Amino acid sequence: MKAGLFIATAALYAIACILYLFQLTRGSEKAPGMSGTVFVAALGAHLAFLLLETPAPGELPLADIAQILSVSSFGIGIAFLLASYRMNVTILGAFVAPLSLMLFLASGLGSSYAPVPPPVQSVMLTLHIAANVMGLVAFALAFVAGIAYLLQERLLRRRQLTGAFQRLPSLGVLDTIGLRSVLVGFPLLTFGMVTGTFWLLRSGGSQFYVSQALGLVAWAIFAGVIVLRVAAGWQGRKAAVGTMLGFLFTLLVLAGYALRAAGGSA
Amino acid sequence: MRDFLVVGLSHRTAPVEVRERLAVAPTDLERELREIAADSGFEEALLISTCNRVELYATSPNPLDATREAKEKLARRLGDAAGDEVLYQERGIDVVRHVFRVASSLDSLVVGEPQILGQVKEAFDAANQAGTIGTLLGRCFTQAFATAKRVRNETGIAEGTVSVSSIACELAKKIFGNLEGRRTLLLGAGEMGESAARSLRQTGTNLHVINRSEERAQALAKACDGRAVPYERLITELADADVVIASTASPNFILTPTLMKGVVRTRRHRPLFIIDIAVPRDVDPRVGNMDNVFVYDVDDLQQVAEENLAVRAREAALAERIVEDEVESFLSWRRSLELAPTIVALRRRFGQVAEEELRRALPRLEGLSESDRSVLEAMSRSMVNKLLHQPMTELKAGAGEPDGALLIDAVRRLFALAEEEAAAPEGASAQPTGEAKITQLAAATGTTGESK
Repeated sequence: MKAGLFIATAALYAIACILYLFQLTRGSEKAPGMSGTVFVAALGAHLAFLLLETPAPGELPLADIAQILSVSSFGIGIAFLLASYRMNVTILGAFVAPLSLMLFLASGLGSSYAPVPPPVQSVMLTLHIAANVMGLVAFALAFVAGIAYLLQERLLRRRQLTGAFQRLPSLGVLDTIGLRSVLVGFPLLTFGMVTGTFWLLRSGGSQFYVSQALGLVAWAIFAGVIVLRVAAGWQGRKAAVGTMLGFLFTLLVLAGYALRAAGGSA
Repeated sequence: MRDFLVVGLSHRTAPVEVRERLAVAPTDLERELREIAADSGFEEALLISTCNRVELYATSPNPLDATREAKEKLARRLGDAAGDEVLYQERGIDVVRHVFRVASSLDSLVVGEPQILGQVKEAFDAANQAGTIGTLLGRCFTQAFATAKRVRNETGIAEGTVSVSSIACELAKKIFGNLEGRRTLLLGAGEMGESAARSLRQTGTNLHVINRSEERAQALAKACDGRAVPYERLITELADADVVIASTASPNFILTPTLMKGVVRTRRHRPLFIIDIAVPRDVDPRVGNMDNVFVYDVDDLQQVAEENLAVRAREAALAERIVEDEVESFLSWRRSLELAPTIVALRRRFGQVAEEELRRALPRLEGLSESDRSVLEAMSRSMVNKLLHQPMTELKAGAGEPDGALLIDAVRRLFALAEEEAAAPEGASAQPTGEAKITQLAAATGTTGESK
């Protein structure tokens, strides 16, 4: 049942990817096509899968890194739907769907990861993880807007104005999405880092792991992007590149955790 | 036999001085149609009048004479003897194809422009109000709207803008998102620059006009609904603007990298879109390499226009196929309204029922002799004939009347006579090809074919 649902979800995400990419490169502007419907179906299957994973009613399936990846992937999809509803940017699905699919598949790899041992579980840990997952979702949206911005700017500078250029949102809208997402994600990440450190100290651990270092780098990058945007009026390409770099570091943090979890269980 | 005809002129055949002499205001369409219908041999009539075409559509039992009449009507209004050169005419199925192409914007000056469909719809509504629409024109135009919708949805014929001004606007929208409240700076007094500034002003941007001659700036600002600013303020204006349209007569670059470096610094990375419409250029191309500054010159815009036109031309070929498809479907509806095939189909339907019932009844009757059998068979045949006699007479008499098609349509629906049944004449083994079908109709109506 669980394996079947996993495959179905992955397949739906994959189909949505193909449809969105098709829509971006050669679709008609007016016919939105099936991509949105398939993506929502993928999210539905994903939700059912998450419900199966839930340890007990009311508890969040955030016990191990695999579940965290899965929930993040789901959250990105939901955040994208909200954003596309509000800002009319459905075409960004062409970048969101591959990202969701990637994270979801990665969560499948991690079924053998050791869960956090019960003694170190606490409310603080749950808060820490939840805040970081929400931050990750916001940064993922900013990352997607960044990719679209760079692509769109490249097309504009190269005067390739038919096709994808017509379907992608304007540079202004993409920049706004990037800014807002980072502004939402940054406090969450900050909160996540503070609670994480606090929890780490209280649970008696004092080792400083690679993941924490990477997390600090990501935090510093986002802080820099925000400061430069607000203080120096950064906009456009540089801000997009900075945001994307920050998101890549947050992904590295997750990868670090995953590797350590895999190492710990071996 | 009743058939379609159209007489008219368009941007293809007549210059605007001639077209405007025939043009009818939308509010006058209805009255005009009533007058035309009152003193002519037309059964149905419809008048399309846009700035690019004036066309009179009609149906008549005698299309040849009616065409002549329609042409005389229009030529009289044109006044002088230019009528023969600028007026074109079509008859039969060519009229249907023409309507479909016009509604789909395939016959427009700018192929794919969206206004024409609305104008055709207005013309149709006016004719409906005037009561000059019957079965044939009604079906023809309804299907024309469906065709236009298909063309719009299934091809990219309306995608991409094709004028320099509107391309500039589209690009500005793609850079800034919302243009409301943005500022455009018009630098210089070139004609194309003025037109681009006007288009941008219409999208809701504020317009500042700057010129070496203060007087000229004032005049331009007034004409484009903007504000004139003194030339000394060029640097501050550049720093405040979002879109700059450069169109001066200066032989040298005005916006040089050195000048723009300072401007960009004061702008604090806000994106700037510069449209250089001047020839020779006003903007050093190196300015386009600066961060968040996008420069398009007149060649770039022209190239975009050409690319978009090429896309439209390619899509137009697809659209023509859709039109042919729809013409084919109209033909098969039209053919189903022909009297002879309807009578054949009706007879066959009744005959089939009688025969079937006989086949079921005969085995149940025991001890029938051969002659008893033939009596029963003759009885069923004569029942069919008697039952069909009145409808057949009515059909034959009604077919010549204006509403004959309606009657035939009703009979076909009441007795569920499919269109394919009519399409395949008795004894014909193979489905005729499209070509053959058209000639078949031409033969049946006797009016299609040669035109112009």
